[in-house]
Amino acid sequence: MVELLSHCLGRMFHNISDAIEETKDHLSALDGAIGDADHGVTMSIGFQAVKIELSKRNVDAMAPADLMNIAAAAFLNSVGASTGPLYATGFRSAAQALAGATRATSEAQAALIKGIAAGVRERGKGQRGDKTMLDAWIPAAEAAANANRRSAGSEEMWRLILTAAEAGAASTCSMVAARGRAARLGERAIGHVDPGAASAVVILKAMALAFCEDGTEQKKSLR
Amino acid sequence: MPEGEGEFRSATRLRAVPNEVAEATPLRFGDDPYVWVSWLYYQEGMTQNDIAQIMGISRATVIAYLTEARERGIVNISIEPARLASLTLAQSMKSHFSLRDCFVIPNGADGRALGEGLGAAGALALRKFLKSGDTLAVTGGRTVMAVGSKLKIAALQDVTVVQAVGGAMARNPFSPELCASSIASAVGAACVSLSAPAVASTAAARAIMFAEPLVAEQFAILSRANKALFGIASLRPNASLYSDGVFGGADLQRYIDGDAVGVLAARFIGAWGQLVEGVLDDRVIGLSLADLLRIDLRICVAGGFDKVPAILGALRGGYANVLVTDAATARGILRADGVAELGRRPSDKQAVKHHGREPRQHVKKFINEPDAVVDEMLDGAIRAHRTFLRPLAGSRRALVSLDGPRAGKVGLVIGGGSGHEPCFLGYVGKGLADAVAVGNIFSTPPPDPIFQCAKAASGGAGVLFVYGNYVGDVMNFDMAAEIARDHGIETRSIMTTDDVASSPRENRDSRRGVAGNVFVFKVAGAACDKGWTLDACEAVTRKANARTFTVGVALEPCSLPQTRRYNFEIGPDEIEIGMGIHGEPGVLRGALATADETVDMILDQIFAEMRPASGDRVAALVNSLGGTPLMELYILYRRVEQRLAAKGIEIDTSFVGHYCTSIDMVGASISLLHLDRELQELLHHPCRAAFLQVG
Repeated sequence: MVELLSHCLGRMFHNISDAIEETKDHLSALDGAIGDADHGVTMSIGFQAVKIELSKRNVDAMAPADLMNIAAAAFLNSVGASTGPLYATGFRSAAQALAGATRATSEAQAALIKGIAAGVRERGKGQRGDKTMLDAWIPAAEAAANANRRSAGSEEMWRLILTAAEAGAASTCSMVAARGRAARLGERAIGHVDPGAASAVVILKAMALAFCEDGTEQKKSLR
Repeated sequence: MPEGEGEFRSATRLRAVPNEVAEATPLRFGDDPYVWVSWLYYQEGMTQNDIAQIMGISRATVIAYLTEARERGIVNISIEPARLASLTLAQSMKSHFSLRDCFVIPNGADGRALGEGLGAAGALALRKFLKSGDTLAVTGGRTVMAVGSKLKIAALQDVTVVQAVGGAMARNPFSPELCASSIASAVGAACVSLSAPAVASTAAARAIMFAEPLVAEQFAILSRANKALFGIASLRPNASLYSDGVFGGADLQRYIDGDAVGVLAARFIGAWGQLVEGVLDDRVIGLSLADLLRIDLRICVAGGFDKVPAILGALRGGYANVLVTDAATARGILRADGVAELGRRPSDKQAVKHHGREPRQHVKKFINEPDAVVDEMLDGAIRAHRTFLRPLAGSRRALVSLDGPRAGKVGLVIGGGSGHEPCFLGYVGKGLADAVAVGNIFSTPPPDPIFQCAKAASGGAGVLFVYGNYVGDVMNFDMAAEIARDHGIETRSIMTTDDVASSPRENRDSRRGVAGNVFVFKVAGAACDKGWTLDACEAVTRKANARTFTVGVALEPCSLPQTRRYNFEIGPDEIEIGMGIHGEPGVLRGALATADETVDMILDQIFAEMRPASGDRVAALVNSLGGTPLMELYILYRRVEQRLAAKGIEIDTSFVGHYCTSIDMVGASISLLHLDRELQELLHHPCRAAFLQVG
C-alpha cells in the first residue's frame, strides 16, 4: 500500500526544517558574499514556523492540499522578505496541484515539485539563468516530469531530481544576477553560488528523504 | 550537635600546634568548624581521613559536619544547568518542539522522588532565566510547589511573582496562592495574589469579582508578566486534579468527553493543544491560554508517564517554550509524536559545525536571545515611544500613530525590515506616517501586518504605501494591496529609488531606496496631513522621490545579531562605494580617502544626476549607517555645505545623524532633495514623530 500523502508531507516539512537548521550558517555565509547574509536565518524562521503550525495538528487526518496551504500561510506570515511570498505561492500552487490526491504515489510527488516550481516562478516572474532559486527548482521539476513520464520508481525519480537541482544550483556560480538584491552587484556576483538555489537543493534533499524512507543505504546516498 | 563543641575546641588547640598541613591552610575560619571542614574538603580537596586527623575528630564527625554544612547553606552544590540541557534527549526535545530550552532529569529507581527531582531541575531553570525586574506568573500544583521548596536565588532585584490563577480551598497544600508565595520568598520577590477563587460559583459571580478594583489591579499586574512557571495536570482517573479542590466538585466528565487530555493554568486542552470548552469556562478566574502565549518565556515543569498526552498537547499548542521533565517522560513524548531514531541528530549537527571555516570571531552585542532580538527591540521601542505610537492588537509588527489616522485623510503606511532604526518606526506620528509594518532583520514584513496597518490608517480617502524598491518589498506590499482592495481600501504604492549607485540613470526605476526615504516620507506625510486627495498625495510623493539622490559608502561591514559575524571582508585601506542599507557589499570598491575627498566623490555622482543651478535650494541629509559617530558626520557635512556654497546652492534644511542605518555598519550616506516651492513648503509642514520633529 502506498503511504498516506499527508503523512509524508508532514514528515517532509519536519525533514526540511531540520536540514535548514543544520545548514543555516552555511547558507547565511553564502548570502554574505552577494547579499545581506540572512538567507539561512530567514529560511530557518520560516520552516520553524511551518513545523510549529503543523505540530498543532493531526496531519494524517488532513487533506494534503489543506496541509500545503497551512504551510504556505505559516511560512509567509513568519518571514515576509522575498522568500516568503515565493515559497508561500509555491506551496499554494502545489496545494492546487495536489487537490484530491491522498496517496504518496510518484505522480503525486512529481506534481508536488512541479507545483512548487510553478508557483515560485509565477510570483517571482523569473527565469532560468537569473541566478535565483529557480535555477534549482525548474530543472528539478523537469527531471520529475521526465522520470514520471518514463514511469520511473520513486527512488530513481528523486536521484534524477537531485542531480538536476545540484547541477542547476552549481551553474549559478558563473552567472550575473538578474533579479533580487544581488542584481545590484553586477559582475561582482560572479563566482558565488546563489544562496536561494543552494537552499532549494537542501529542501529537495530533505524532501527526497521523506519520500524514500525505506532503506538506510538509499538515505546515505541521497545525503 | 552537642559533641561538636568539645571536638571543635580540640581542633583549635590542634591548630595552635605546628602542623605541616594545618599551616598550609592559608585562611582562618574563626570559630566555625563547618566552614573549616567544608573548605578543606571542597576547596583543598583533602580526604575525609586527612581532615579528621588535622582537626583531631573522627571521620564520622567530618561527614556529619559536611552534611550539616550543606543543610545550613554554607556549601551549595549545584549542577550547571547547561549540563542537563546538553543531554541528547533534551536536545532532541528542544529541536523537535522548537523549544528555547529543555532540561531532562534522569529517572531514579524510586518513582516517588520524581516530584523532588523536577522541583530541583525547575529551580535550576529559574536560576538560569529569572532576571531582575521580571514579573513571573505562577500557577499551583505539586510540582510548582516542589520548585519553590528547592529554589533559592539571592541578589535579584525588583522581581514580582504574581498568582496566575485564582485561589483554591484552604486545605490544598499546593494551591496557586501558596505556590506563588513560596516562589516569591525563595527569590526575594514581591508577591501579588489574586483575591478571587480559581473557579467562581457562577458566571455572574465571576463578573462581579472582575469588577472589583482590587482584582482588576491584580489582573493588570498579571498582564505585565514576562515569564511564567506552570505545571500540567493529567485527566487520568487518579490524577491529583480531582482531589486538590481547585475545581471543587465540578463535573469534569464533559471536558473528558470533549477530548481534553490535560489542564494547565485551570484551562483544559486537547491532544493537539486546542482549548477544550466546557461548563467551567465562564467561571474560571485566571490567565487565559491566549494571555499565556503572549508571555515571552513560559517554563513548564511536569513529568510522569501518565502526563505524556497532556504535556505533548501543551508542547504542540506552543504553551511552553522551556520544558523541565524526566527522561522516561521525554522519551514517551517523542515516541508519541512519531520520533524514532533518538540521538542521531546531535552528532550530525556537530559534524556540520566542524565543516565550517576557522574559529570565527564573534562581534559583541547587547542582546539576550539572538532569535528574540526583533521582538525585544520592538517591545522596548513601543515602551520608549508610547507617546507617539502603539501596537495594533496582538502584534508588535504593526504599529500605528496615536494621533495620525483621521477620517477623510489619506493614510500613509511605511514599512520594511528591522535593522535600519530609526527607520521606519521613528517616522510614525502626526504629520508623518500613520502606521508602520516591521519585518525581521533586513526582511520585508509579510502582507498581513502591512494590511493591518492599511486598515488602521484608512480614513476613507485611500492609503499611500511608501517603501524602498526591493523585490521582496514589492511582492509583500502588492499582496497586502490586493487584500486591502478586497476590503474596499484603495491603495497606491510608491517605491523609493534614491540610490544613485545601484543602477545607471536610464534604469532609474530599478534603483533601490535608501536613506533618502526620510525626505520622501516627510513630504508624503505633510501632503496627507494637509488633507490632499489621494491623487495629489501620490503625485507629490513621486516628485519628491524623483528629486531625491543618495550615495552611501562603508568603511566596515555590519554584523547580524544571529550570526554575530561580519558579512563581508574589507581591506584596511579600502572603502565600499554605493552601499545599500542591508549590509550587502557596495557596487564597487575603492581606495580609502580623506573625508573631503569622499564627500567630493559622492557629490560629483549626485550632481551629475541632479543638475542643480545656482540659486537652487536643497535639503541635505548626512546619515550614519550605524557605526559612524556624529563627530565624523559633522566633518562630512562641513564639506557638503562648502561644495554646495561654491555652486551657489542654498541648504534650506539639514539633517545630520542616524536616520537610516544598517545595524552597526561603519559608514555614511549623503542625500540631497532638490527642492521646489511645493516640496519646500511640505518639508516645513509641522510633524511630530519619535525621530523627526518639525515646527
